[in-house]
Amino acid sequence: MIPLRIMQPDGKNEFQNYINRIRSDPSIQKPDLNRHPFSHEFSPQVMIDESPRFLSKMEMAEYLGRIFIQANLGRENVIGENGLWTWIAYLWFDQLTTNNSGNRQFREVARYICSSDYTDYYRHLVAGPYYIYSLHGKNNSKVFLSSPIYEHNDFIEQIASRQFIISHPNLIEVFSILYFNKTSGKPKRGAQSRQRAGNIRRFVMVIQQLELTYDIYSMSPEQIINILPQEFSEWKR
Amino acid sequence: MKRRFNYTDRKRIKRERISLSIIRKNETITSFTLNRLDLNGLNLPEDAEVYIETYYRTELKRFGCGTIGNPQIPLTGDLRKLAYPQNLKFRILVVNTADRRILANANRFSPEAPAGKKSILPVEFKDLGNQVWCVDYKGEEDAPILCINKSIPEHIAKTDSRFFIHVYPDVIREILTHMVFVEGVDSVSDPGTDWHAGWLKFCRYLGVNHPDSLNPQDDAFDKDEATKWINNVVEEFCNQYTERFQEYIRKLEEGE
Repeated sequence: MIPLRIMQPDGKNEFQNYINRIRSDPSIQKPDLNRHPFSHEFSPQVMIDESPRFLSKMEMAEYLGRIFIQANLGRENVIGENGLWTWIAYLWFDQLTTNNSGNRQFREVARYICSSDYTDYYRHLVAGPYYIYSLHGKNNSKVFLSSPIYEHNDFIEQIASRQFIISHPNLIEVFSILYFNKTSGKPKRGAQSRQRAGNIRRFVMVIQQLELTYDIYSMSPEQIINILPQEFSEWKR
Repeated sequence: MKRRFNYTDRKRIKRERISLSIIRKNETITSFTLNRLDLNGLNLPEDAEVYIETYYRTELKRFGCGTIGNPQIPLTGDLRKLAYPQNLKFRILVVNTADRRILANANRFSPEAPAGKKSILPVEFKDLGNQVWCVDYKGEEDAPILCINKSIPEHIAKTDSRFFIHVYPDVIREILTHMVFVEGVDSVSDPGTDWHAGWLKFCRYLGVNHPDSLNPQDDAFDKDEATKWINNVVEEFCNQYTERFQEYIRKLEEGE
């Protein structure tokens, strides 16, 4: 366990250089950024595991939720600390870039370096899952967080970027009812397919139209489901 | 320019019907108070529910304000749990109880600035990595917000002549270019967008008259004239701050 730190601009540059270089030369060593001026310790002190093994984004988000609560930190104290999320991704970089077959995969920089632009924020492999989990709790986050921590899935991509949708608990509950298979513990097959009627992209489009007319926020999940068009029928089962 | 259809005849609640202020403790935003909401004359049913929502970036919070017949106003809302309490925007909704249809709304409005003055350029300090500044068009009606890197001490951003000379003229150029060439001003005499009106007023205050059209969709629009107008505004802005420029030169000569 080591104390949680916040990445500073110098550290962010070094981390970014490292990410760019390791793509072509996987043998290079990760730089030591756990010191001034690259990062500084977060206050109050929070101890964090250096090399945990998370089977899913959910496990990771739950772990972070636990250590923040132990330090009396609410989501409002950590959500906006981009340097904190960048540093955690730096700390867990190996696991975030190694798939279940043991192969390394390096994605776009925004997956590891937390963007100050909130429209990219959710793409961060650590901040995004914690953000969703801290807003909606375990049950309604499952549809987004059942995948491995190195994967960025379309459920997060399509929903988390839409503030109106991701902020509304009842809408997220509807989304979970429609697209999460409780039996398998995974999202329903075909939900992401553009060819299927009532897929998740259509859900976003239809909700964006309905919210101009209806006060979606105050509607129960059942009421929202009832006003959805016919194309969503097969997902209600 | 944005156009929206309104098939359900929603009423628009104009900003002048609302009075809302932000409450701070030790410079930190802790709550807001909806002091007044005048819905007279909008013909809304007595049992329709009234809500106020506040939101910014990843955050959204809603408060019930009673009904049209029994409003709970003034209303104070706790904002301490929001991760981004700066530059909050608000939305008011009047909702039909039976079918949850929105009967009237006011969207994307900001609280009143202290002493009745409204800044045309709110400033926010945030993590911008290695960028010194950028302009975010996420204010009321997509109004500009100047974002300054939070690593830069606030007193430098506010008073340092070098910072001022290097940053603000370019910020003005960026905003006017966006206003004209990205959004387009629907009417220079009576703009439909409040922040366009505020910036045009600022330009007139600097003594620079605008061309007849600042809307690239108009036949009367002349790109060269619009560009020249923007350059003139920036030049006049710099002229207003001659002392800052002289101080900047002095510091350069002294090697500060």
